Amino acid sequence: MAGSPFGAPTAAPAPDGQQLDLDGPEQWNETVKRKYVKEKKIGEGTYANVYRGHMRHDPSTLVAIKKIKHQDDYRDGMPPAAVREMKYLQELRHPNIIRLLDTFGTGVDTLNFVLEYLPLGDLEMLIRDVHRVRYGVADIKAWMGMLTRAVWFCHSNYVLHRDIKPNNLLIAADGEVKLADFGLAQSFADPGRRMTANVITRWYRPPELLFGARHYGGAVDVWSVAMVFAELIIRTPFLPGDSEFEQIALICKHIGTPTEENWPGVTQLRDYTVPSEVVPVWGKEAYMGRFGAVGADGVDLLVKTLALNPAKRITAHEMLQHRWWRADPKPTPKEDLPRKSGGEEKMGADLKRKNGLLDEENGTRGAKVARKLDFGQAK
Amino acid sequence: MAAEDARYRQSSQYLLWSFSPSQLASIRENTNAAARSAIAARLSSLPASSSNTLSAPTSSANTPDPEGSSTPALPEFLTPAEEALLVTFYTSELLRAGDHANMSDEIKATAAAIFRRFYVVNSIMTYPPQEMLIVALFFGCKAEGHFPSISEFGKTFGKENPDDILAGEFLLCQGLRFALEVRNPFRALKGAVMELGLLPDIEASRLAAAERRAREILRFSPLITDAYFHYTPSQIMLAALSLADRGLAERLIQETFHYVAPASNNSGADTPMSDAATTTTAPSKRAPATRVGGEEDKATIIGSHVRDKVLGAIEACRDMLAKELPERREHWTNKTVYKAQLQPLRKKLNKCRDPERSNLVGLQRARRQQAARKDDSDDEDDLDGQARGGGGGGGGGGTTLEEDGAVFGDAANLKGHKGGGGQVKKGLEDPFGPPL
Ligand SMILES: Nc1ncnc2c1ncn2[C@@H]1O[C@H](COP(=O)(O)OP(=O)(O)OP(=O)(O)O)[C@@H](O)[C@H]1O
Ligand SMILES: [Mg+2]
Repeated sequence: MAGSPFGAPTAAPAPDGQQLDLDGPEQWNETVKRKYVKEKKIGEGTYANVYRGHMRHDPSTLVAIKKIKHQDDYRDGMPPAAVREMKYLQELRHPNIIRLLDTFGTGVDTLNFVLEYLPLGDLEMLIRDVHRVRYGVADIKAWMGMLTRAVWFCHSNYVLHRDIKPNNLLIAADGEVKLADFGLAQSFADPGRRMTANVITRWYRPPELLFGARHYGGAVDVWSVAMVFAELIIRTPFLPGDSEFEQIALICKHIGTPTEENWPGVTQLRDYTVPSEVVPVWGKEAYMGRFGAVGADGVDLLVKTLALNPAKRITAHEMLQHRWWRADPKPTPKEDLPRKSGGEEKMGADLKRKNGLLDEENGTRGAKVARKLDFGQAK
Repeated sequence: MAAEDARYRQSSQYLLWSFSPSQLASIRENTNAAARSAIAARLSSLPASSSNTLSAPTSSANTPDPEGSSTPALPEFLTPAEEALLVTFYTSELLRAGDHANMSDEIKATAAAIFRRFYVVNSIMTYPPQEMLIVALFFGCKAEGHFPSISEFGKTFGKENPDDILAGEFLLCQGLRFALEVRNPFRALKGAVMELGLLPDIEASRLAAAERRAREILRFSPLITDAYFHYTPSQIMLAALSLADRGLAERLIQETFHYVAPASNNSGADTPMSDAATTTTAPSKRAPATRVGGEEDKATIIGSHVRDKVLGAIEACRDMLAKELPERREHWTNKTVYKAQLQPLRKKLNKCRDPERSNLVGLQRARRQQAARKDDSDDEDDLDGQARGGGGGGGGGGTTLEEDGAVFGDAANLKGHKGGGGQVKKGLEDPFGPPL
């Protein structure tokens, strides 16, 4: 078997004795498919349905099966999101990046991705559930550390994620955060290449993309990381623009107006427009009020990730070297991180515990949480 | 560079698509043998009259045979070597088609690599290379992050019906084991030129000329040979550079080894050299190179040992590329060569094609119909399956995947459908077994 990507490509009968007449790759596909049993549907995205599943030979090993939908409005074959996700997840192996375990086809041409099962929801759920989920600096530091390592790993493999947001940061049973949803990812190995500026969910989109830059790099993801960082602290999206124009206005107001002085060349970008009133770039002190809970070091890191000029923005690699990670409090061990409240039925969960008491799932770590700052009040 | 090579070992190109020459040869033999027996079985189970791909079956094929012992005459099949020659020819056609469409070097290279990967595990007797090369170009664009409209793309190649191309897309993808990334050596060349440019004693004009030639080589020679299966991108780049300007390549190797050698002391087998060396021959990657790094003063010995291995790999790659230098483009389009060597093989191929699979559109149509027939079993939450009137299984419990299996692979039904007779499958199960 070793040496062939498919094992022996012969027309042997299938294991169950059924006479299948399959060519090598089809047999291999069959074998992969048969490793898993699909269970109930657990999620739906724009381009896929997600099912829970388990290993046939070991039902206790759970997986997620992401089955790509056929899109009637895309007539050009396999949809881009599926191609991108397949390409990049196949290559990227890292504890903080969702692991693609297998890929197989069903029906005529339906793609199925077998992913590691991540049952504890996503960061957005934790951030939003201000009444029942409480967390502090040490928890933020742990989540941010995992996110930053994931982004660093992507970038050191010349991959841009281009859709970093709390909703795409899924949480494993052991609390590990995993960057998921590589449907917009793109390689940036070739610096001369033009890319579309129309990526990244608006609230997390950096100024260079809002201005229509066609050449960009890892800095776009770093901006998104900054937005996630800020959101983790204030528990509400930092810059929730209703339109691209408003998004730019919010950036100008809260961070500063991009100008030739702070960002040489910015006015040449295709879609450069800013509100007429120029706001000077805010210094670190300005952030201390709203974001000071993470300490001066934390704010220092935040401000560096918020540099308007992408060339001056800190890189994911540099972020990992920042002193904040080593300052007290230390990041919470992943097993002790706050978890989403409620069981599987997270949607429409009743939010009756207005006093912010911990539910039983989080009860065991109540003492720990009590020591920490609580940003739940921020509104 | 160390990190770069360590990462390469994690890539699907290395894990799934790197082989030693003997491994590759044996996979190709297996593929060829499997295709022969599958095609033979399919041909002999077809009513002779319904087979238009079979050219002029002998008259006896139509004559009822009272003994039931004779089988229709089987065509002569392509040998593995003949298949390899034709795949190379079609790769050159693919590159020409890519030029015609003004595609980037990366896209053409990726398309060529995936085309050749596909035909390591599939025979050209099974799936038609002339069509698959267009599919590979289309999918090569996608794999490189460009998503052309199928109608525009089709027009470039005179394919008016999008299905002509789309029918092969999933098939290609499956043949690649859903690993779409191809690591091309162009970026390594840029890096090498930058590095050499920093050296004070190297003339800019010499460097520019070497780069131009090396790039020209990379655009053809490794793509039309098996280089991508045996060597890492940096080895391929160095081999091409060495063909362009041996002195420069040697200089670069020297600088690299000089620069990296100390690291081998700390990281043992994780140095780029040992990685590069193990990559040369795929088997050794499964039994990782013996770790010698732990012993203190062996660093220099390892250094030179590994270095020799790498140099050996680069030399071997150079030899491979030298057989298909860019000037050979002309060879593959040369009329005389074509008439003498290729045309006879194409004729032979026409006679031994898989009756069931060599028509991609027909194959897909048959699969769709088959899928539609079992569609009732799809449950309501599986909207995508229903929207297309097929597309395979739904949710609803553990049987789904098996049902999908029946849909996807049941070639017996397919034959029943095409041949219009339920007896076909019976023939296969004949106690005397299939004819080959
Ligand atoms: N590995 C997993 N484990 C558990 N649940 C998952 C997993 N992957 C996805 N899900 C669930 O399925 C939903 C949809 O998945 P995903 O976001 O990957 O699909 P998508 O089509 O890319 O979505 P989007 O519309 O956000 O682009 C997720 O929000 C999540 O609830
Ligand atoms: Mg999503």
